[in-house]
Amino acid sequence: MAKIIVVTSGKGGVGKTTSAAAIATGLALRGQKTAVIDFDVGLRNLDLIMGCERRVVYDLVNVIQGEAGLNQALIRDKRVDNLHILPASQTRDKDALTLEGVETVLNTLNKDFDYIVCDSPAGIERGAQLAMYFADEAIVVTNPEVSSVRDSDRILGLLASKTRRAERGEDPVREHLLITRYNPNRVDSGDMLNLEDIQEILAIKLVGLIPESEAVLRASNQGIPVTHDEASDAGQAYADTVARLMDEEVPLRFHEYQKKSLLSRMFGGGRR
Amino acid sequence: MSLKVDRDGMAFTFKGGMLPMTVMELTSADPERIREQLAGKLSQSPAFFQHTPVVLSVERLDEPHLALERICAVCRSHKLLPVAVRGGTDPVKQSSWALGLGWFPPQEAARPRTLESVSVPEDEAPPEPAAVEEDQPLPGTGGRIFRGTVRSGQQITAPDGDLVVVGAVNAGAEVLAGGSIHVYGALRGRALAGIHGNARAGIFCRELRAELLSVAGNYKRLEDIDPRLLGTPVQVRLDDDQLGITSLA
Repeated sequence: MAKIIVVTSGKGGVGKTTSAAAIATGLALRGQKTAVIDFDVGLRNLDLIMGCERRVVYDLVNVIQGEAGLNQALIRDKRVDNLHILPASQTRDKDALTLEGVETVLNTLNKDFDYIVCDSPAGIERGAQLAMYFADEAIVVTNPEVSSVRDSDRILGLLASKTRRAERGEDPVREHLLITRYNPNRVDSGDMLNLEDIQEILAIKLVGLIPESEAVLRASNQGIPVTHDEASDAGQAYADTVARLMDEEVPLRFHEYQKKSLLSRMFGGGRR
Repeated sequence: MSLKVDRDGMAFTFKGGMLPMTVMELTSADPERIREQLAGKLSQSPAFFQHTPVVLSVERLDEPHLALERICAVCRSHKLLPVAVRGGTDPVKQSSWALGLGWFPPQEAARPRTLESVSVPEDEAPPEPAAVEEDQPLPGTGGRIFRGTVRSGQQITAPDGDLVVVGAVNAGAEVLAGGSIHVYGALRGRALAGIHGNARAGIFCRELRAELLSVAGNYKRLEDIDPRLLGTPVQVRLDDDQLGITSLA
């Protein structure tokens, strides 16, 4: 039985796809057989972040409409053995997805995989609802700003009412808060919401905190999930996140303001 | 010419008002069955039947013609005063008027729809029923207790009594009650108490950050609230048609 994890947020541009790619990679690096599915039909991105855009032949919509088999569409990751990617279609729209089709795909993957990571599109419409419908767990990606927090709150409401678990009255979807683009220095100066305020409003357990980092942009553009960049703060923070997802206790890092020394202020300052 | 009106010379003024009103929702059109049930109720709570004005709601009846006169007679014999009829067909409207009763159009299709499955595309998503974290009726009062966070986009209603939220009401969420609203947490969303016009209802919260506060239709927006009260525990009540917010700290 695979665990189905949806990576969602409501708001766009907060780092859903980056996080889905990094977390799926982290799970696979820990020996878990993992599939990551791009639900953002029409705005396909996951293949770019995973660096497999040149190997896409068939996609999720082809599989759902019976034009290709699941094994034909699944792309094996070049860097990690246990990792498979199911890309979205770029030429179709979200109406091409059906609830039954998604269910069939997930049921088939369920037999062979340990984890299925669903990368949700932004918004609260059909695409996002289909991505979350079958989830066992949800990672709600939030940036430290008010609009992102409010949209995450909205998504948490949907997770509690519009998922299969909610409709069947089963145990609720396990919700995790993942804060991305966190910059302790800007939090300290009052430009960003702080960790405690976000947690107080959303009232769910924190699974990870990813600092704002140049490594993330570099990783996206190179098509190598940032988890592979073990020297970077963001890479380490995603590794911590994966450990917590697997129920390990890991202390929180990268959330405290680093006071600049006098020297770095004199020579490295003005780089805000 | 003076615009001042000589108040002494006026026989009356028209004023808009919202009064609490008992609605008698009929599920049977048979006067005899109504009589039996009323007799039972009368023995349970005689204090209620003191010439209480009632609105007869016939929305749930599917009959074009009603023995309206006999139903009214049954009510009057049990010290209920029918003042108006709500809903029903055109003949029902005509006979209401003939009997000297008012007539109200049927209430709009009430909100809580059942959950639509995700397979149905929705243009206008209905407000989600809140998470089934823990949600119980308050026994004997028509009220409701909700434990958990009321999230953006959710709406929690206790139409017939008080609503107690043990948790926060987040921005973009809405809580409504026929009676008072009690929030044991931060109130960041909209709170509307006394939605049927009960001016004695109040709103109580541990931390005021509300987008909107309303008691019996009198409201204040976040902008109108004294900033010194924000973030503090308060009570909100109606005082001479003015919404008053006082600190409980």
